[in-house]
Amino acid sequence: MGFKRSPQTFSAKVNAVTIGTGEKAVTIGGENVFPLYSFDAPIENKPKIGVQISDRGYNNAVAGIAEYYKGAENFVDMAKKAALMPGADFLVLSFESANPDAENTSVEECAALAKEIAEAVDMPIVVEGCKNKEKDAKLFDKIAAALEGKNSLFLSAQEENYKEIAASAGLAYKHKVGAESAVDINLAKQLNVLINQMGVAGENIVMNLGSAAAGYGFEYVASTMDRVRSAALSQNDTMLQMPVITPVSDEAWSVKESIVSQEEFPQWGSMEQRGVSMEISTAAACLAAGSNAVILRHPESIATISKLISAMCDKEGN
Amino acid sequence: MSKFIVIGERIHCISPVIREAMNNMQPEPILKRAKEQIDAGAAYIDVNIGPAEKNGVELMKWAVKLLQDNFDNIPLALDTANMKAIEAGISVYNRSKGKPIVNSADAGDRVEFLDMAAANEAICIALCSKAGVPSDNDERNAYCQELLERGLGLGMEPEDIWFDPLFLVIKGMQDKQRDVLNFIKDLSDMGLNSTGGLSNVSNMMPKHIRPIMDSCMLAMAMQCGLTSAIVNPCDIRLMETVKSCDIIKNETLYADSYLEL
Amino acid sequence: MALKGLDIFKLTPKTNCKECGNPTCMAFAMKAAQGSVPIEKCPYLSDDAKAKLSEATAPPMKSLKIGVNETEHTIGGETVLFRHDKTFVSKNLYAVNVCASCVDEKLKEIENVDYERIGERMYVELINLVYEGDKDAYVELVNKTLNKGRVLILDCECVDAARAALDVCADAKPILNGANEENYEQMNALAVEKKVVLGVRAKDIDALYDTVAKIEALGNKELVLDVTGSSIKEAFANAVQVRRAAIKDKDRTFGYPSIINAAALAKDDINMQTALASVFTLKYGSIIIMQSMSYAQALPLYGLRQNIYTDPQKPMKVEPGIYPINGADENSVCCTTVDFALTYFLVSGELERSGVPVNLLISDSGGYSVLTAWAAGKLSASSIAKFIKEFDVENKIKNRVLILPGKVAVLKGEVEEKLPDWKIIIAPNEAVSIVKYFKELEV
Repeated sequence: MGFKRSPQTFSAKVNAVTIGTGEKAVTIGGENVFPLYSFDAPIENKPKIGVQISDRGYNNAVAGIAEYYKGAENFVDMAKKAALMPGADFLVLSFESANPDAENTSVEECAALAKEIAEAVDMPIVVEGCKNKEKDAKLFDKIAAALEGKNSLFLSAQEENYKEIAASAGLAYKHKVGAESAVDINLAKQLNVLINQMGVAGENIVMNLGSAAAGYGFEYVASTMDRVRSAALSQNDTMLQMPVITPVSDEAWSVKESIVSQEEFPQWGSMEQRGVSMEISTAAACLAAGSNAVILRHPESIATISKLISAMCDKEGN
Repeated sequence: MSKFIVIGERIHCISPVIREAMNNMQPEPILKRAKEQIDAGAAYIDVNIGPAEKNGVELMKWAVKLLQDNFDNIPLALDTANMKAIEAGISVYNRSKGKPIVNSADAGDRVEFLDMAAANEAICIALCSKAGVPSDNDERNAYCQELLERGLGLGMEPEDIWFDPLFLVIKGMQDKQRDVLNFIKDLSDMGLNSTGGLSNVSNMMPKHIRPIMDSCMLAMAMQCGLTSAIVNPCDIRLMETVKSCDIIKNETLYADSYLEL
Repeated sequence: MALKGLDIFKLTPKTNCKECGNPTCMAFAMKAAQGSVPIEKCPYLSDDAKAKLSEATAPPMKSLKIGVNETEHTIGGETVLFRHDKTFVSKNLYAVNVCASCVDEKLKEIENVDYERIGERMYVELINLVYEGDKDAYVELVNKTLNKGRVLILDCECVDAARAALDVCADAKPILNGANEENYEQMNALAVEKKVVLGVRAKDIDALYDTVAKIEALGNKELVLDVTGSSIKEAFANAVQVRRAAIKDKDRTFGYPSIINAAALAKDDINMQTALASVFTLKYGSIIIMQSMSYAQALPLYGLRQNIYTDPQKPMKVEPGIYPINGADENSVCCTTVDFALTYFLVSGELERSGVPVNLLISDSGGYSVLTAWAAGKLSASSIAKFIKEFDVENKIKNRVLILPGKVAVLKGEVEEKLPDWKIIIAPNEAVSIVKYFKELEV
């Protein structure tokens, strides 16, 4: 007798989006099943992992991260090392220092660095801004010009600055545009519509639906992703068929569990292990909820999540 | 549940342009009307070739191939009293975008259309009537039971029989409108699909009134659970109503630009 | 399998008598098939037909109780596949593996992780007792772990050893996780005799299905399904397909809670176990077994579980009260915000990062965010003044500076009127600006 299977495959599918060029280019999305449901239909492009580095350096980072980048004297050195990180598929450059409340690094300086890095590494590049919407619009314009031809992804365009970013990174320099909505599903769809109406094809948009560390409102992230994926597949909503990228590390490494020292909370044990665990747990939950790519920081987390993805998506017998 | 399905009604032999085109097998006028309806948001296109007693088989095959070749296998409702013509249409039909719809069977002379739909694994529109208009919901329910039992007995899935409650013209049958809505609710409670020629309600009303009346009826019927209608998708007010109702019923996700999608 | 409308229709008298409140027998049958009408509504169905039908229209997934008294837990009983469709009802539970040679050390570790988070006790709810072939040692292991405030899982395919273990612990309502294709008859008899929930496993999902069907035919429906299988990929496929079959396809044979052994899947890789436990917390483990549970694992996992099992209709709330941050004392400033858990975590997190000692005052604002609470009248000058009085803030804290959320700056005047001794100042609109604001705060 046995179990009567009824696979849930859909005629609609998530758009496949390629970032980067050449051999190391990565493609995310393309599946017509719920996240990781490779038993319903093969998942051609398994989820990918980005390794995040900051232009402010990781001097104060936990030992495992600091150790990995030991000897790197500048951002470019770090990028070269990051590009060799086992398990990582693409490089995420975070230009935090450009924030006016931080070092307020000039956009020209950032663009020059980005160009230097792009010439030094062959990994696809995802560019993160400084979390200041006005500055990001200018920053992305310059970096997009500097990275022309590299098919990079810019994270992210938001309600307030999508016009500039779509026009520059998306249209003028033919990069991929990340549309960011903070767990607001209607805004997620609307931003895709607006960016699309400006002329950026749906196939060139990636969504950042927002993120939260495990325990910190992750239910909103999970439900937003559930609903987006369900609309994309079962309702064939073309304005929600973009693949999803989720920055995990920023959240995972800033919650109490990851930053309170062992001296303060002896019972909790090693701070680094707590941070790694938080990053792994959040990333695994994001993948189960529907992220096509996650952005991580710690080498141990990246190794574990990479192993998880292979175990979930590769053919049996690996 | 799922999104409301608009079946575009404008390829109909009653229109002189279409009749002429069908007589001469001229593609252009038919393609033009199909495109207008698809652009306006029709999910299915109804192809009414009239009684077509003589050349129905040939004509339906031609029309099905013409429309599906030109519009990425757009799903079609095959509409004629000539059963052989529908079967012929299905024989050349591509199902990649949706099953064909047989339009239509009833509980009277045309009950065999249901058998034919079952044999061809098609969707069948089933009119809840025998001869003429059902007098009340007891009658509608009885026909519904009869058709459902027959269809399920032939191995059809219940969701492949789309029941038509028969929309009635308001001018003359105003007192029967609530019956129709209640019956749609009954169908919906049973988990069944429904459709029908909705704009019949505004027949004989002034031109500027019709979109308003159709839209209101549609909204009320959708609230009762109507899952589809055979209408003119180029009626902007009507399509805006469909889209808005789909939002309110949570069948599509809201975005500020939803009317443009 | 679920009955179809036509199957039910055939059992009706087909008289359209309307006594059930439906226009036709077919209408009744179609609704009964969907579960929207109880089949008892038809007065003319035979008892035989009723029994057959009530079986088919029962809830899609069995809800089971394990443990007794303060260790009692409910598992299963889910009705949806996605929490936004309604809500998940029985949170998943975590278990830790214990064997005869590691029991003392493991018990210490298990008892170490025990804390409260937003009103919920976080601890290892179950202990998985691994049978290693020595019956006496196994009974000894049961004795050592029996009264530790945890439900036991007897992970044991040997009927003999399982009986010996149950002789000791059956009253504590453990789970007997040991039935398989070969031993199911004896294991089932044992579980029924001892009145405990039976765990079923098999070499693959088809064998599992058949074995469950056979045990059901023996009359037992107090089951959990061990869907672990032999690889991570298989475990996930099993967990999803079993739950989906039950909820979506109404296949009652798989309508039971699940066990996932993450420890077995990830061997000694504890990071991988954390990853797997996270995945299965979302989809669809009822009991997840780990090799160990340190704070590093527990903090994200229990937080994640708390999030996922929150009722979407009811926001997570923190208890109203005075929360001293960064070692704040009676001389530190006060600031206030709402009791919505997300707001609390965001604000307290940023305050912690600022390093400035602050007393965070959380008043009862119905679990709404700041602006919503304000609009609903749940965060007002009166509610703040009431809180200060009820929690005796003026006697507990000497400092008289109170910082209001930037989004309700409009309240400043009114609060000043109600609290004339206090200096009222306004924080920034967004939490991201808190660190900078507090570092520069001069009062």
